[in-house]
Amino acid sequence: MRVVFVLAAVALLAACGSEKKPDDRAFEEGLDSLHQTTTLNQEMIDGILQQIPSPLEISVLLKESGTKYDGALLNPAANFEKYNSRYKMALNLGVYGTDLGYTNIYEQSRAGLDYLSSIRTLADGLSIGQFFDMQTIARLAGNSKNLDSLLLLTTQNFNELNAYLEKQGRSYQSVLLLAGGWVEAMHITCQTAAKNPANKQLMQTVGEQKIILEQIALLLSFYPDDADIKTLATDLELLKQAYEGVSISHTYQESSVEVVNGVAMIKDNSSTEVQITPQDFEKIKAATASIRSKIIG
Amino acid sequence: MKKFSIALVLLAFVGFGFTDHSSAPCDPEGLANTCIPKLAEGFKFLKAYKVDGALTGKEKVEYSYVLTTGTQYMINLCAPGETPDGIVVSLFDGQRNKIATNKVEGQILSAINFACQSTGIYYIQYTFDGGARCGGSALGFKR
Repeated sequence: MRVVFVLAAVALLAACGSEKKPDDRAFEEGLDSLHQTTTLNQEMIDGILQQIPSPLEISVLLKESGTKYDGALLNPAANFEKYNSRYKMALNLGVYGTDLGYTNIYEQSRAGLDYLSSIRTLADGLSIGQFFDMQTIARLAGNSKNLDSLLLLTTQNFNELNAYLEKQGRSYQSVLLLAGGWVEAMHITCQTAAKNPANKQLMQTVGEQKIILEQIALLLSFYPDDADIKTLATDLELLKQAYEGVSISHTYQESSVEVVNGVAMIKDNSSTEVQITPQDFEKIKAATASIRSKIIG
Repeated sequence: MKKFSIALVLLAFVGFGFTDHSSAPCDPEGLANTCIPKLAEGFKFLKAYKVDGALTGKEKVEYSYVLTTGTQYMINLCAPGETPDGIVVSLFDGQRNKIATNKVEGQILSAINFACQSTGIYYIQYTFDGGARCGGSALGFKR
């Protein structure tokens, strides 16, 4: 009996799996050798992709550090009309994802809804619009008490979108999405740090981004045959040069643990020292602004 | 013959009733999603991780993420049986030094709370100490 049920289930799943949406088929047919990678490389790409931190962390850091919301730092939501290529759409989908997180953290719901609309348009252009539950997000955005739910839902939407892209063999679009989101977060952080020179935490954060830049540069290196990605990689190389003077040293010390209410509370005794001079910062800020300008332009 | 048929049907029901839970379908994605709302108050959700040793036969499942100085992270666990159901989560830094684990003095706890003081790539590793070898996990942060 169990065998019959299993066979029926397999038949049903096979039938469902063969019903691909027209958009999925169109994209599969469009996949070319530019973005194909070996299985080993694909595993490495997936591994590195998951490491890239959410730009939401930087937005929270900015707010917690006492800096005020500045909408002028963000890519205008109306700019979405300029992005006609999949390359620009994917990059700016990431940019707007960062901007959405920033507006949400600062409870700027009106601006958040504008970004949401632009995100949905770009996502539709990439045939991944189904991952954004616009109705629910718009409802949550209307009430500041729903902030945690709003952040949760938007984070989940982006996570699911990236997982889908990887499954569909479109990891290169995930890479672009994350690269665009990171550049935007870097831009916001650099501009905010410039206006708040006494805030050492922001300077340290800029310095620490060297770690993530290296990972993003590595991701882009897996697509040497894509002219657009190669251009972006070249631009990021200039940013890497700006980071040459920045040093990050890590000192390991064994952590300690205390059990509180059934949770292991870990005290990290290791430390990181980030050395970044004002001159380093200016070079990094300028390079970031230049790259960002090309991405959103 | 009739009695024999009834006996067969009854045996089939009994067989299903005593199904070993370890052979029940593993739904790590579903379990990861149930972990999200279980993050402690104040923690914002970052990632949900599938912990599947049952279907894959893997002895360990590993993910990585860049953790940042000055940020608190929580990694919790959800399992089909009684959480954590033998799932051990360990955190290693970029040099593979073991930083944290939910196995403390022989007891396996349901979550770890890590106050990061050193930005870098960290490896989140799940291993199995008995149990169904199936679960989910969520990573959250707060400052």
